[in-house]
Amino acid sequence: MPARDTQQTVEEPAVPDTIEGRVAWIFGDDFDIDLVIGVENIKYYDLDKLRPALMKAYDEGFVESVREGDVLVGGHNFGYGHPHYPPLVAMRSVGIKAIVAESFSPGFWRGETYNGMPLIACPGITAAVKRWDQIRVHWAVGKVETPAGILEAARPSERVARILRAGGSYNLLLRERGRRRA
Amino acid sequence: MAAARPMTIAEKILARAAGRDQVSPGESLPFRPDYMIAYDFPGYTDVMFRQMKDDFGMESLDEPDRYVLFIDHMLTRGTPDEEKMHEVTRNWAAKTGAHLHEGRGIGHQVAAELGYALPGNFLIHFDGHISSLGAFGALGWGVRKDLLEAWITGQIYLDVPATARFDLVGELNEYVDSRDLIHWIIKVNGADSCVNQVMEYGGPGAESLSIGRRQGLCGMAMFAGGVSAIFNPDATSIAFANSVANRPFEPVSSDPDAVYASRTRIDLSSLEPQVVMPGSARSTNTRPVGEVAGVQLQHAYIGSCASGRIEDIRAAAAILKGKRVAAGVHLNVVPTSEQIRRQAESEGLLRVLEDAGAYIGASSCDFCFGYADPLQPGENCISTGVLNISGRMGSTQANIYMGSAYTVAASALAGEIVDPRAIGEFANASS
Repeated sequence: MPARDTQQTVEEPAVPDTIEGRVAWIFGDDFDIDLVIGVENIKYYDLDKLRPALMKAYDEGFVESVREGDVLVGGHNFGYGHPHYPPLVAMRSVGIKAIVAESFSPGFWRGETYNGMPLIACPGITAAVKRWDQIRVHWAVGKVETPAGILEAARPSERVARILRAGGSYNLLLRERGRRRA
Repeated sequence: MAAARPMTIAEKILARAAGRDQVSPGESLPFRPDYMIAYDFPGYTDVMFRQMKDDFGMESLDEPDRYVLFIDHMLTRGTPDEEKMHEVTRNWAAKTGAHLHEGRGIGHQVAAELGYALPGNFLIHFDGHISSLGAFGALGWGVRKDLLEAWITGQIYLDVPATARFDLVGELNEYVDSRDLIHWIIKVNGADSCVNQVMEYGGPGAESLSIGRRQGLCGMAMFAGGVSAIFNPDATSIAFANSVANRPFEPVSSDPDAVYASRTRIDLSSLEPQVVMPGSARSTNTRPVGEVAGVQLQHAYIGSCASGRIEDIRAAAAILKGKRVAAGVHLNVVPTSEQIRRQAESEGLLRVLEDAGAYIGASSCDFCFGYADPLQPGENCISTGVLNISGRMGSTQANIYMGSAYTVAASALAGEIVDPRAIGEFANASS
């Protein structure tokens, strides 16, 4: 891992404090994230397998129409069920940078926060946006700018903010305790 | 001097784990778990062992007594890959001095039998069903990959959760189980009704529940959004703790004036058997058993960390005694631990079940996640397992219904989903 060792002075946050992008999809309540790739694919991490399957059940053209920086919007209890990691591996690969939802299922929230994905609980978000609206997510201060106005969102703890800026829990642990740098 | 803020049992356990006099919901703090638990599973423990050594230089553990490993998954195929994975775990435990328990049963149960889940203890695991240890007045929290943070640093940052209180009164009727209670809570209050909260069960109805039923109830907290669930210690759980404790423990209980995010009163005698439709445990999928009756079955399963306890095996044996499982139905009964299996054997329950045509599996997690005896396309199964998403127990084209051990046993006997309270109407049908 020598390449990593040469980047010790880079302190630019992995996740900027403001994320600006389009709403790529709006999911309903109690949404099981495994469904975005289909349960038959939840054990794969191979992007050649995951990308063609991504959102096929919802929008055949999703992968082609999404661009870098877009965000997902969810309803209440987003990530409910027994979430696996490949669905967001696939979403990251097409450029998804954050998820804003009415609320999150705690297990999903913890697992993907570990992986460095900003998951912002924002009551009222599903009523405030429609697909492809441009929104600004000021996750560090708990505000989301939508065409319908500014919504209050949950502010992350200081620890979670550090996790996101480091690009995930593992990278933060490496910075704090690792014998190599993140 | 300000008076001490009244606290819930979960807050008291977390305050101790944070080294503080008190904590309040919403505070983000590092907590020191008494035990940091995992089962070995590819992509989890093997990766963590490698990361700790290669990236963090950890060749040994400062406090190996706090690390607990179970080998309870992937035990039934006997493949070289299976054995290789377990050997990695055995070697790591031998090298570091971490506790390792193999082949004794499902870790969430064995952790209680071996005295890890003592009243007042705080335990974490990457798997969320560790919440079942709340039955003993301990707080078990599933932290997913953040277990690594604890394994490396000895502590873990968490936000103190608020507590939702469930005041239970009355007693469960015959053929109704705590499994029906958790699904009823989800159906009525919602699958996100306890998001980021601890579910605390109390009241005379709570004290009327056996330890096993408390475990099954607490272990399913995640499906109501809970980060954990807990009972205040009572004579039943303290007696259990005294029988397994190998070190001192300090039970704590909620203050009478503790502050709760919500309070729900439930009369246990008003509950009826529930069945969860295939897909997930969300509220719209949960029905009174009568609405689902008649679904033809090919498989039935009693086991998992949320069932398979002596109460569940007794329930199945009482329903199946002197009868035969319906033709075309394969019933797997998997005691949650070897200790429970031995008890069931000594009570003559396993013979009753085998005589009825059930298969008794060695204790493991393998049936619950489709590793053993996977479902085939088009098959219907009724299960006491923890999860019924498509593909969980085998083919993605199979359907998994969930219910209590009573409902599963009665349905296996009938060959279709039935209300176990109506057992007399078909009890002789397949004898």
